[in-house]
Amino acid sequence: MMFFSRLAGALIPAMAFLSCLRPESWEPCVEVVPNITYQCMELNLYKIPDNIPSSTKNLDLSFNPLGHLGSHSFYSFSELQVLDLSRCEIQAIEENAFQNLNHLSTLILTGNPLRSLALGAFSGLPSLQKLVAVETNLASLEDLPIGHLESLKELNVAHNLIHSFKLPEYFSNLLNLERLDLSNNHIQNISHKDLQVLHRVPSRNLSLDLSLNPIDFIQPGSFKGIRLRELTLRSNFDSLSVMKTCIQNLAGLEVHRLVLGEFKNERYIKDIDQSALEGLCNLTIEEFRLAYLDDSLQGAELLHCLENVSAISLVSLDLSHLKSLCNNFKWKSLELIDCKFEQFPILELFSLKRFIFTANRGGNTFIKVKLPDLEYLDLSKNGLSYTGCCSHTDLGTTRLTHLDMSFNGIITMTSNFLGLEQLKHLDFQHSSLKQMSDFSVFLPLRNLLYLDLSYTHTQVAFHGIFDGLVSLQVLKMAGNSFQDNILPDVFKEMTNLTFLDLSDCQLEQVSQKAFNTLSRLQLLNMSHNNLVSLDVLPYKPLQSLQVLDFSFNRIVALRKQELQDFPRSLAFLNLTQNEFVCVCEHQSFLQWVKDQRQLLVKAENMVCAMPLDMKGMSVLSFRNTTCQMNKTVISVSVVIVLMVSVVVVLVYKFYFHLMLLAGCKKYGTGESTYDAFVIYSSQDEDWVRNELVKNLEEGVPHFQLCLHYRDFIPGVAIAANIIQEGFHKSRKVIVVVSKHFIQSRWCIFEYEIAQTWQFLSSRAGIIFIVLQKVEKSLLRQQVDLYCLLNRNTYLEWEDNALGRHIFWRRLRKALLDGKPWSPEAAAEPQAPSRKQQLLPEKK
Amino acid sequence: MKGFTAVLLIWTLISPSSSGGGSGEAWPTHLACRSGGLEVLYQSCDPLQDFGFSVDQCSKQLKSNLNIRFGIILRHDIKELFLDIALISKGSSILNFSYPICEEDQPKFSFCGRRKG
Repeated sequence: MMFFSRLAGALIPAMAFLSCLRPESWEPCVEVVPNITYQCMELNLYKIPDNIPSSTKNLDLSFNPLGHLGSHSFYSFSELQVLDLSRCEIQAIEENAFQNLNHLSTLILTGNPLRSLALGAFSGLPSLQKLVAVETNLASLEDLPIGHLESLKELNVAHNLIHSFKLPEYFSNLLNLERLDLSNNHIQNISHKDLQVLHRVPSRNLSLDLSLNPIDFIQPGSFKGIRLRELTLRSNFDSLSVMKTCIQNLAGLEVHRLVLGEFKNERYIKDIDQSALEGLCNLTIEEFRLAYLDDSLQGAELLHCLENVSAISLVSLDLSHLKSLCNNFKWKSLELIDCKFEQFPILELFSLKRFIFTANRGGNTFIKVKLPDLEYLDLSKNGLSYTGCCSHTDLGTTRLTHLDMSFNGIITMTSNFLGLEQLKHLDFQHSSLKQMSDFSVFLPLRNLLYLDLSYTHTQVAFHGIFDGLVSLQVLKMAGNSFQDNILPDVFKEMTNLTFLDLSDCQLEQVSQKAFNTLSRLQLLNMSHNNLVSLDVLPYKPLQSLQVLDFSFNRIVALRKQELQDFPRSLAFLNLTQNEFVCVCEHQSFLQWVKDQRQLLVKAENMVCAMPLDMKGMSVLSFRNTTCQMNKTVISVSVVIVLMVSVVVVLVYKFYFHLMLLAGCKKYGTGESTYDAFVIYSSQDEDWVRNELVKNLEEGVPHFQLCLHYRDFIPGVAIAANIIQEGFHKSRKVIVVVSKHFIQSRWCIFEYEIAQTWQFLSSRAGIIFIVLQKVEKSLLRQQVDLYCLLNRNTYLEWEDNALGRHIFWRRLRKALLDGKPWSPEAAAEPQAPSRKQQLLPEKK
Repeated sequence: MKGFTAVLLIWTLISPSSSGGGSGEAWPTHLACRSGGLEVLYQSCDPLQDFGFSVDQCSKQLKSNLNIRFGIILRHDIKELFLDIALISKGSSILNFSYPICEEDQPKFSFCGRRKG
């Protein structure tokens, strides 16, 4: 694998290319924290910007072509604590360049091709704790003029050209130095005199990293009597024999933590045998770590020099030959991470308190272990299957407080943690749990504080599943399911619960008593379920609830009473990703969302699912005015319709009054004395007097009729009267057709004259009223009339209320045609002065 | 399988120590190789920059040793590095896989822990 092998080579040209692309213009730096942190990365700055406030504490000037640092370059930044000058093409640092940086604690000079460093380059800097000079073309530690930096804790000179491990004299001044990183240099030999400073000034707490140096030889006794906090030697030796002699020659070193091994992409050593670590017998080691050796290790004999180490960690090794680890080791902590095992190792370690066995691949089945002092057990990520979980006989301990079995295969619950009553932390997430509903699995775990059952394929059917968990504070149940998708009353005894995760449990309903005892619950996660409504009643007992997550459900809207009944302590309510319907029906809820933006988490992400035109839009964008507008539109249109119909009714009712009023203005005085001359048989006189005269002469509008019994002038011939009074002075002629009319000679006479008169005056003036149905045979005698009635519209008298109403309207209308509207005419009707009973013998 | 198209999307996310500044658009998806029904695409999830990536073989039958080259200007220290792989066939996702390359406590590769720049 050639990861990153050419990285360094590629960086500089790529950098140059990118800096060419940048525009010449000066851009202001990014203000991350006002007056404190400024980021000026890659802004093509040739000098240090002068508009940065002097109160700045963190300044990032990386990737700018500064070229060189003159003296007092940062004089105005007296408050600076962190200064990043990574890859600024700095070749020279002059005297006093960092003067006045009295508070600077971190100086980063990574990737600068330093050629000249003045002796006083780092003068000042009384508080500097961390100096990073990675990849700065440094050839020797002597070249660094840092002897006066007494507060320095960490010196990182990795990836340089340093050939000699000689620690210069000035290290005797650096009494606070804790970490020296010399990895990825060219150190080949380590001799006694290189470490003289450490011999002279002992009892340091120094961690030394020499990884990736091609070490060939260590002079015997170089490290004798030296005490180190940590020594890291990874990918240093190109063969097993070199490694063996070098480790041998570390003899006498007292180190708290020794790290040996290689990197996954930097492997040199082949054929490791059990004597590889023999030299470690002459060292005093507290903790030992071995990582990323390619070859398979031949068994526990390799580790026989490490019997008295308290903590051991084996990472990414091939341990397929390791079958068992037994009692002669006095380890307290053992980590086996990402190692290849053919089977679960047999473990009998009486002093072991902490055992981590994670990410070890291979179809493993858990085998009983004997670890009587074990308190902390992590068996996660192994794909282990476990047929009889869990009791003290399997684990050989009764002191266990922490058990992690997450990310494994199938775990069958056969025992309820008998003898493991001390457990405080239990994690089964993403393992498949079997037989969870058969008995109260957790019954004896009265001290358990933390239980994670997320995604364990548990279907809760048995209501006693959580019995016994009286101290539990955190319960994670995400990704499981409940019978009938209803959350039952299973948390009865958990009065101390503060955190409950029920997300992704396909829940459709919550039973009323589900949370009755959880008065201390602070966080409840109900997201990713199928809840249609937020029925507040079950949540009422949650007096301490602060966070309620209801996102990713199917809530359409909340009802009005639900909005008021949330627990008072609630501070964060998440309702995002629900199926809100943004219509006026839910207006009060939508308004509530706007009012409660502080309570609601990411209220702006609450999106409408319906109606279609609002789909995908924020609930906050719903406008109440649309509802109000709808209401006004409806009410206005109702009012208008009502008014129009009232007007129509009124107009209909007072049609003639209106016509009268309008007519007053239009017409002048007319010529005719009468409005109509009535031709009728005296047999129908009752009807004429009682109905016709009464309705037309006394109603509105007023009509003046010419009636022979009343208006004919006596002493004049009947015919003359008919012509003079009747036709001449009347505008219209009303013919009252009845059986008697046809039989009467006078009537027929009058009718014929009327026809003639109509013809002469060329006015359509004859109105027919058929008083009673006339037999056709009778009518045929009067051929003229018969034809006329067939051709003309006539009025028919009907003796019922509606018939009469229509009759009078039509008649009035017909009579109004051409009526001269004059107030005088209306006010002074022609008084019937001359009464005449000329035609008693009429029939 | 005729017409089988596997699309390998590789995202890398470098060190969460960044302030997470660039919230804007994502980097473009690049094509690393294409042959015989296999397409390897990649996209950078680093808010600050894109990167270069190449593989030396492009076939559905993987050989035991696969050389992957990866070039980037380090704008963060590599404290943690994760490789996320999504395998997509005919438009639907088959596999999502997250692999820790660098963890602070367990530097697996020699470039883990590299300094910015």
